[in-house]
Amino acid sequence: MIEVKHLTKLYGSHLAVDDLSFTVEEGQVYGFLGPNGAGKSTTMNMMTGYLAPSAGDVIVNGHSILTEPEAAKRTIGYLPEVPPLYPDMTVREYLTFAARLKKVPRREIKSSVAAVVEELALSEVEDRLIRNLSKGYRQRTGFAQALLGDPETLILDEPTVGLDPRQIIEIRSLIKKLGKKHTVILSSHILSEVSEICDTVLIMSEGRLAACGTPESIAESREAVTTVTILSPEEEKALRKALAGLGEIRFSPAEDGLLRCVLTMRASGGEEGTDPRRLITKALQEEGCDYFSVEVARASLEELFLSLTDETDEEGGSQ
Amino acid sequence: MTAILRRELHSYAVSLTGPVAAAVMLFVAGLMFRYINLHNGYATFAYAISNSGIIFYIVVPVLSMRVFAEERRQKTDQLLFTAPVTLLDIVLGKYLALVIVFALPVLVMALYPLIIAHFGQGPFLIDYASLLAFYLEGCAYLAIGMLLSTLTENVILAAIGSILFVFATQMIHNVYSLFSGGGLASLVFFVGFSALLGILVYLMTGFYYVSILVTAAGAIACFALFMVNDEWFTGKIEWILGGLDFYSRTIDFYQGSLAIGNYVYFLSVAVSGLALTMLSVRRRQLM
Repeated sequence: MIEVKHLTKLYGSHLAVDDLSFTVEEGQVYGFLGPNGAGKSTTMNMMTGYLAPSAGDVIVNGHSILTEPEAAKRTIGYLPEVPPLYPDMTVREYLTFAARLKKVPRREIKSSVAAVVEELALSEVEDRLIRNLSKGYRQRTGFAQALLGDPETLILDEPTVGLDPRQIIEIRSLIKKLGKKHTVILSSHILSEVSEICDTVLIMSEGRLAACGTPESIAESREAVTTVTILSPEEEKALRKALAGLGEIRFSPAEDGLLRCVLTMRASGGEEGTDPRRLITKALQEEGCDYFSVEVARASLEELFLSLTDETDEEGGSQ
Repeated sequence: MTAILRRELHSYAVSLTGPVAAAVMLFVAGLMFRYINLHNGYATFAYAISNSGIIFYIVVPVLSMRVFAEERRQKTDQLLFTAPVTLLDIVLGKYLALVIVFALPVLVMALYPLIIAHFGQGPFLIDYASLLAFYLEGCAYLAIGMLLSTLTENVILAAIGSILFVFATQMIHNVYSLFSGGGLASLVFFVGFSALLGILVYLMTGFYYVSILVTAAGAIACFALFMVNDEWFTGKIEWILGGLDFYSRTIDFYQGSLAIGNYVYFLSVAVSGLALTMLSVRRRQLM
């Protein structure tokens, strides 16, 4: 479990992370989502003890990263944005070094290196210099390093960046598999990736947490306002009468002499999970109104992301 | 610490910097030995060492420029600083690797007095005391070189910094006499010195207002002292510059005096270098 408490980071006068607090529960996959420069990497660097926060604290599996850094770091495996590889070492030498650095007991070093090499399918390149490896292999070597020492928590900063589609699928399924044993926190600016792998999404913008929850719950909370578009050949007056009490109505002319009616409804979809379309069609039928289409604009994670990050962009104004 | 020490030693071996440094040292020391001891027939190997000072201009930057600068450039410091090791482990591991790599050619140099002994009686005590002074001088330089490599991610800048430091500490004994004058010259020097101190404070802490404060406080104190009693400044320049004089401290040995205090001087420079290295790395994490 990781508790982030009032974490703040100032770069000179630029506020990169602004009083950020959240809790990461065990055994789940968390996704950090946000545009470039939202403070994802900075937050991860502070959670792993690479950067010292300007204010606040991070409690990693019961240990403060500030007062007991070694105990805290021992429970974290970290894959930074750029995998921290020494080009003058072979993959095996590098992983052996990383295992020693993470205080893996001497007699287990060989077996744990072999295990991560197996896990990430690195055996082909085990004896090659990291300098000569392709980007995909480098990323996997960095990933293997994070797994060494069997950490309770894995922190992965954009783990699939720069990989080809096949490798992306492989890494994603690996993360899903690891998510069963470890707590995984990954960052990404690819929305489909986060909604596919993660149990919980943390949307960051301008150094703050814009939203937090399962992809569905975030979408629902945002759907407190539902927008329905109705195309009808009826008169404005009749429609207004039929839809009275359902919400705010706006009319605009549409093609073929039809009327477009945009209905903004409070409280999503009715209490018993009724589809708003059912409510509307019922109301229209009762008044004998004809209609050609009723469409609900459901916010996708993509739209949510844009709306959440735009709101804060307008305030902050800077990148 | 041992993990880092082993990796560093591995890196010096495969990157050729270790062998290049050793080759330079053995070439220069061997040339001086050949010329001074074998050709001119002096039995004191310390004379050859005293003429090998050029070694530091090459070996110190070659060995120390990459220590932290390269880690930062290739972002491998993220591995080190997020691993369950202390900063002291990291700094000591890297420093031990440096002084071990530097020790290997020095051990080879330790054979030269034995070669001289083959032809007759050489002053063993002076030779080995001088070699130890040479080694500790190198260790002090390497600690400062490591400190400089924490200040930038550009290895060339780090190298230029350490060459300048070697140059200053080897040459400063020549300029004492120029500053022996009193009054106004000293005042100008001390104000300049405060500014230098301010720049150093800025490099170490990253707070420009602290460095301006240090410079201003230093300058004001100097002016005040100068107003009260300008006599006070006489001889003080020498005292300050003397603190940076590595050259004279080794010359003592080469000239046959066993100035043990100079060993302590080099060791304390090395320890200060390590402490400042840790401070500088910590400061980067806070920035």
